[in-house]
Amino acid sequence: MERYWNEEIECMSREDMKKLQDERLVAQVKHVYENVKYYRDLMDEKGVKPEDIKGTDDLYKLPFLSKADLREAYPYGLLAKPLSDCVRIQSTSGTTGKRVVAFYTQNDVDMWEDCVARAITAAGGTDEDVCHVAYGYGLFTGGAGIHGGSHKVGCLTLPMSSGNTERQITFMRDLGSTILCCTPSYAAYIGETVHEMGLTPDDLKLKAGIFGAEPWTEEMRRSIEKSLGIKAYDIYGLTEISGPGVAFECSEQSGMHINEDNFIAEIINPDTGEVLPEGEVGELVFTSITKEAFPLIRYRTRDLCVLSRKKCSCGRTLVKMAKPMGRSDDMMIIRGVNVFPSQIETVLIEQGYSPNYLIEVDRKNNTDTLDISVEMNPDQFSDKVKDMQDQEKALAVAIKTMLGINPKVHLVSPKSITRSEGKAVRVIDKRKLIDNPAK
Amino acid sequence: MSNVRQISVFLDNRPNQLKGVMAILKNGGINIRALSVADTKDFGILRMIVNDTEKAVDVLKDASYAVAVTEILAISIPDAPGQLSRVLDILGSENVNIEYLYAFTGASDKAVSFVIRVDDNENAANALTRGGIIQLTENDIAEM
Repeated sequence: MERYWNEEIECMSREDMKKLQDERLVAQVKHVYENVKYYRDLMDEKGVKPEDIKGTDDLYKLPFLSKADLREAYPYGLLAKPLSDCVRIQSTSGTTGKRVVAFYTQNDVDMWEDCVARAITAAGGTDEDVCHVAYGYGLFTGGAGIHGGSHKVGCLTLPMSSGNTERQITFMRDLGSTILCCTPSYAAYIGETVHEMGLTPDDLKLKAGIFGAEPWTEEMRRSIEKSLGIKAYDIYGLTEISGPGVAFECSEQSGMHINEDNFIAEIINPDTGEVLPEGEVGELVFTSITKEAFPLIRYRTRDLCVLSRKKCSCGRTLVKMAKPMGRSDDMMIIRGVNVFPSQIETVLIEQGYSPNYLIEVDRKNNTDTLDISVEMNPDQFSDKVKDMQDQEKALAVAIKTMLGINPKVHLVSPKSITRSEGKAVRVIDKRKLIDNPAK
Repeated sequence: MSNVRQISVFLDNRPNQLKGVMAILKNGGINIRALSVADTKDFGILRMIVNDTEKAVDVLKDASYAVAVTEILAISIPDAPGQLSRVLDILGSENVNIEYLYAFTGASDKAVSFVIRVDDNENAANALTRGGIIQLTENDIAEM
């Protein structure tokens, strides 16, 4: 039987939900206009006043925000509450120079954790469960968000963070973890390690997993479910909007319910900004209508996605988003970290290399690999192998410092990487991350 | 001091890379006296001594190759057991660290020649001279 964390909201009629969203949006736009100069200027520029927004039907009139705005407004430019009202900062993973930082009031943290509690409940979690949190803790929202939601549900929470896989499994076995929360690739790796340690799913009490922060396929879901003997649920979120739990999967496992009492989702044409009707693929845009400290209006996620209001067998009426099918920009998610080719380019130029490079991303043994071929600098060419290998290592360290993940750097001959006339092909992503849309 | 200039060329770890360099040298009428290739997982370094260093460097650079010129030591020793060991004893006693070495054939079938790459050429050359090891000049090699 389906259980809900907040049945009233999760199963609310469309009519009531729209009414709630209308009220919250009107108040939010007023709050932002009055307190965030950056967005007020955008609205003024577009000639939109808070009075023009009478409900969600007027949403399209409001200007968009993008990651570039967040960087430009760093750190306080989009803050809508005095810092004394804020209790938390989280940040996105590895972005060029200025990171994106998000602020939370206690109400914001409560709202976020409430969203996560809905996800844990949808995955069958109750206060009887032992919730094993193997997302990274720290500025990354994965650890903190799931941790808070787990507390809310009343699960016995194991704040493991990621890494030290054998210890993870030992704790899992000794302390009877029932719900595993981490990235899907780490879950797959844990599954393999369990078998390498001579254990089977029967040695563990795991029943469910809540996996997110990176793309994964149905095939990977089935493989994780088999290796760990669990049901695997997807969860979606982004730091800019709050963190994991913006949307979550239910027992039907066919898309994620968006917590639309807090986040209004739109699908737009990424080129024109025009709002697309339900069922069409476009860029996912979120408006947070309850966030106090860092309320983003019409934030462009760059995730390409489709929304559906088809009746869900779980009973929830919250709109569902399909797994993102790609990006409308060149961002890659590698080992859970957001990576833009431009970041790698910045390091190359700083280190005196030509900005001709080729990034190859693959997934081997469930771990993402990042290989970067770089044209060697003829001025630094040495007849000694060690000198050249030191250059490769130094460059790998500099890129690791920028991205937070270890690449393999391969020096290649000057001018050997194909120059293309138009848009350079910088990235070859060999991972199969999205399911065949034809199915 | 009889330091000899060696040309190094960066090679990608792909088929036909060495062939490409050889074609360029052929067109330039360059003759190779000594050659070795060091390889790693990612790339190779071709090292050679040629009869016309300046010209070889010019034609390779024109073809966008990464080229380095390094001064190395070249020696000629009798083709007999224990000869290389004697050279290494001499260098070892002076604490000379060898980066790499490779053999090449000279004009005589009674002698064998070696390229030796060390960090301190002067110290190594003096030690070899004291030890009675014949060192070759670039001219010696070109005329072989």
